[in-house]
Amino acid sequence: MIRFKNVSKIYKPNTAALKNVNLRIKPGEFVSIVGQSGTGKTTLARLIIAEENVSKGSIIVGGWDITNIKQAEIPTLRRQIGVVFQDFKLLKKKTVYENVAFALEVAGAEPVKIRNIVPQALKIVNLEDKLDRFPNELSGGQQQRVVIARALVHRPKIIIADEPTGNLDSINVQEIIDLLLKINKFGTTVVLVTHNHDIVNALRKRVITLDQGQIISDQEEGKYLL
Amino acid sequence: MISFFRALKFAFQSFYRNIWLSAATILIMVLTLLSISLVGTINIIGDQAIKSVKEKVDLSVYFYPEVSETEIKAIESRLETLSSVKDVRYIPKDQALEEFKAKHVNDPVIQETLEILKDNPLGGTLIIQSKNLEQYNDILNVLNDPNYTEQIYEKDIEDYQTIINRLNNITDRIYEIALVLSLVFVVVAILVIFNTIRITIYTHREEIGIMRLVGATNWFIRGPFILESVLYAVISTGLSLGILYPLLKIISPQVTNFFEGYNLDLVTYFSDRFLEIFALQIIIALLLAVISSMIAIGRHLRV
Ligand SMILES: Nc1ncnc2c1ncn2[C@@H]1O[C@H](COP(=O)(O)OP(=O)(O)O)[C@@H](O)[C@H]1O
Ligand SMILES: [Mg+2]
Repeated sequence: MIRFKNVSKIYKPNTAALKNVNLRIKPGEFVSIVGQSGTGKTTLARLIIAEENVSKGSIIVGGWDITNIKQAEIPTLRRQIGVVFQDFKLLKKKTVYENVAFALEVAGAEPVKIRNIVPQALKIVNLEDKLDRFPNELSGGQQQRVVIARALVHRPKIIIADEPTGNLDSINVQEIIDLLLKINKFGTTVVLVTHNHDIVNALRKRVITLDQGQIISDQEEGKYLL
Repeated sequence: MISFFRALKFAFQSFYRNIWLSAATILIMVLTLLSISLVGTINIIGDQAIKSVKEKVDLSVYFYPEVSETEIKAIESRLETLSSVKDVRYIPKDQALEEFKAKHVNDPVIQETLEILKDNPLGGTLIIQSKNLEQYNDILNVLNDPNYTEQIYEKDIEDYQTIINRLNNITDRIYEIALVLSLVFVVVAILVIFNTIRITIYTHREEIGIMRLVGATNWFIRGPFILESVLYAVISTGLSLGILYPLLKIISPQVTNFFEGYNLDLVTYFSDRFLEIFALQIIIALLLAVISSMIAIGRHLRV
């Protein structure tokens, strides 16, 4: 589903965020990417959605070589990938329903389709009774679930979550992880970027450890190493 | 189509949310359009004035009183065959006298002199108009034929060239000032629109970020901002035309007075060419708006 071949990413002028990374993630997998801060985890996630270009090597997503993707094709790619990023918040002036609908609106979806899909997505994250709330009327965990619902509306094959539990307390963290596992059960490939030991150790799923831009370990049923 | 309506809704919303900014943008666009219209109007006034002065130029040929109508008519026929001649008008001696009397009705000396003279002292007159100013020389050459010296008492062409030169000078000067003014306004307008769109982009940066990550197309993201600038263009054009028409109504009588006797009515001119003026203004407004918003989008909206 996702394949990195000798990928290096150098930010201008000379920060090497990733160095010669090789990686293969199969469809339906649940992969955690761990490592200390500043080791290139976010960079890796941003490369998958073509938010950044590789400096060397190539990336293939769902059989599509996106190494030199054209500007005009990026939207098509992004509709196949649901993203849950740290700095990718909800719009404060929109309700829960509107926030989720927004992702469909901007893709030019028909109103009928929007009315159908939005409640479904909110049901998956167990927020079907909070449609008319505004983000600041929700807990941090609930807000993050809305973000996940928004990531689901295009029925993506891949979900990339970059530190989705960053600012949450442990109960909320578990809620989010359970939700990602549930989505993974539907067959969606999940890439979870985190530096939370407890989560990773409890998951018993594949763990890829990055250190200073390089993969230093890749284990099925892995543990947090560092 | 749905996307278009959503973009339109967005454009109106951001228009209202920053109503003062929108008002300032529109104000500067209206000023720009008006000053460009001023350039156009001055051009029209200048051209029309010069054209009507040129039309007034004619060559009067006065004959001795003894010269008979048939002789004059013969010369008239000859002149009419010339390609440079547009029109020849014959004024019989009686009519010439009437006109002369009427012209000098307030001059007692002339009236008295005419009383004393029993016979009509005036001869017939031919009034010749050429197709253009340069061709009067050709006509004069023909009239300088030695055969005619016995008959022609005087040839008189009014010196309109100085008037035309003076008119040209005045209109050129105003034209230059208005042109510089327009250019200044164009530059200011571009900067203001650029800035307005930049601020709108800044206000919506979160939405834009989300749009990008959920896979909105470039044009979906850019469309609303371009549409917002189109909205400014349309409103400004409407206002500018709405101001221009009454303004011309006010200044038109003055202009007509100034060029007394010449056929120059700005209001009619404006009404006759409404569609052209409208088209010109909206095209200028759209160009200004779209170009500057595209620059703003290009610089501040990484998609
Ligand atoms: N846009 C950027 N421009 C320049 N350097 C960057 C940029 N983004 C990240 N970096 C650098 O690349 C390295 C990896 O960053 P990042 O991928 O965010 O790491 P992580 O997510 O693991 O904390 C860091 O040294 C960071 O400073
Ligand atoms: Mg990070």
